[in-house]
Amino acid sequence: MTNMKRSILYPTVIVLVLCAAPLLISAAKIGEAAPEFSAAASNGKTLRLSDYHGKYVVLEWHNNGCPYVGKQYKSGNMQRMQKQWTGQGVVWFTILSSAPGKQGYVTASEENDYLAKMQAAPTAALLDSTGEIGHLYDAKTSPQMVVINPQGVVIYDGAIDDKPTTDLNDVPGATNYVSLALEQAMAGKQVATPATRPYGCSVKY
Amino acid sequence: MRGCDRNSAVSRALRFGVVLLLCAETAQAESTPIPHGTLEVIAENQWIAAGHNFYLGLHFELEQGWHIYWVNPGDSGEPPRVEWQLPAGLSAGATEWPAPRRLETSSIVDFGYEDQVTLMVPMHAEASLAAQQPVRLGAQVKVLVCREMCIPGKAQVSLTLPVKSQSPAPDSRTEAARTMDLFTATRKSLPRPAPGNWTFRVADTKDSFVLTANLGHQITGHPITQAIFFPLAESQIDNAAPQKFLAVAAGFQLTLRKSNQLLKPIERLKGVLVFSTDRAYVIDAPVSRPGAAKSS
Repeated sequence: MTNMKRSILYPTVIVLVLCAAPLLISAAKIGEAAPEFSAAASNGKTLRLSDYHGKYVVLEWHNNGCPYVGKQYKSGNMQRMQKQWTGQGVVWFTILSSAPGKQGYVTASEENDYLAKMQAAPTAALLDSTGEIGHLYDAKTSPQMVVINPQGVVIYDGAIDDKPTTDLNDVPGATNYVSLALEQAMAGKQVATPATRPYGCSVKY
Repeated sequence: MRGCDRNSAVSRALRFGVVLLLCAETAQAESTPIPHGTLEVIAENQWIAAGHNFYLGLHFELEQGWHIYWVNPGDSGEPPRVEWQLPAGLSAGATEWPAPRRLETSSIVDFGYEDQVTLMVPMHAEASLAAQQPVRLGAQVKVLVCREMCIPGKAQVSLTLPVKSQSPAPDSRTEAARTMDLFTATRKSLPRPAPGNWTFRVADTKDSFVLTANLGHQITGHPITQAIFFPLAESQIDNAAPQKFLAVAAGFQLTLRKSNQLLKPIERLKGVLVFSTDRAYVIDAPVSRPGAAKSS
């Protein structure tokens, strides 16, 4: 009898805990520890954020159908940033939080084809179709950007730059908040603009 | 028989021609396509008068489910951007935006418009503007249209109006009735200055801004049972957070959760308070930090 009761009760408790979890975990905040995550990458590996402690980490929310993401990739700006910063030892994760059936959802092989076609150079592309990492960081848009310092603290969260448009011509004159944050932090300075409105398309959870 | 055929063919061709002509005739004043909708520029007056102000409207019609954005778009998107192409002597003022709606998706809230909206643009004609040939008022409009996904669009719209020395009057021609209705409806939906005896103040608490509205006697006739605040600036309040409404003596309190992106205290909270579709008010309230005030 007790065993039976237990077997009925346990799933209920687990369901309750699962439901409550997203409410209990607070989103990433500037100056606070970056929430830990692990995810399958399109290259087949499973990656954990804590494995990269001691390095700067950039998180880039991605959706290949979003015109704001398209602006960064068609202009070659995102790839340039990926190459520039990974060349300086920064870890760069492109995060795909679109749910299956929604715009921007891709399989591992589709993502690998896309990375090759666009000549993109992130450290890895993380498949987050459950939206777990997206919710953990309260990612609202693509291309929302987060910068984490070697101590594992969030030092930037927001837009890629100060031109919230889909116009490719706006890339050259824009102030790039991500590069600025990395430059300032690496020079031992305080990040002047640590938070901005992350413009773009809504993340398709 | 043959003649009859030829006649019907001719009349068909004629009819087709007439249809084509009609299309061409109306196309100039009619709407230009944008993604999942149309845009047209409309004028309130039949002519421009030198030395007078007048209104133009950018009228958007959208397919069901699609939306465009308010001046502060909220969590995603961007407002329409207009570049006017105007002859010398004419200038455009700041766009007047009707009260927006909260557009809620799974995790975010945008501010914008569905179905249709007219953005009103005040224009000024300098006194030196001589009565001359009709002038062409053009605008290039960049607009982001979204539903589940977003599609950027660009449209070139224009309108030709005569310039006269007589004072302007609202266009009373029958064919202008629809345009006049659009201006009338839009005026009702524009946020108004709050009445002089209303006061607004904001308390900066740890996680929230508490907006207290004192409406004096105004609420007796039309009790206010709900209010939605739309901030003019981005990154001040958490757009997606529910706004807690509490009726208090002579007014109400609205609790607005702070944005995660807000890292510095703000002096004033500016925005639009919407009570119902045609009752929206512009507010600009001082922000106080109760704790800080006590300690100083």
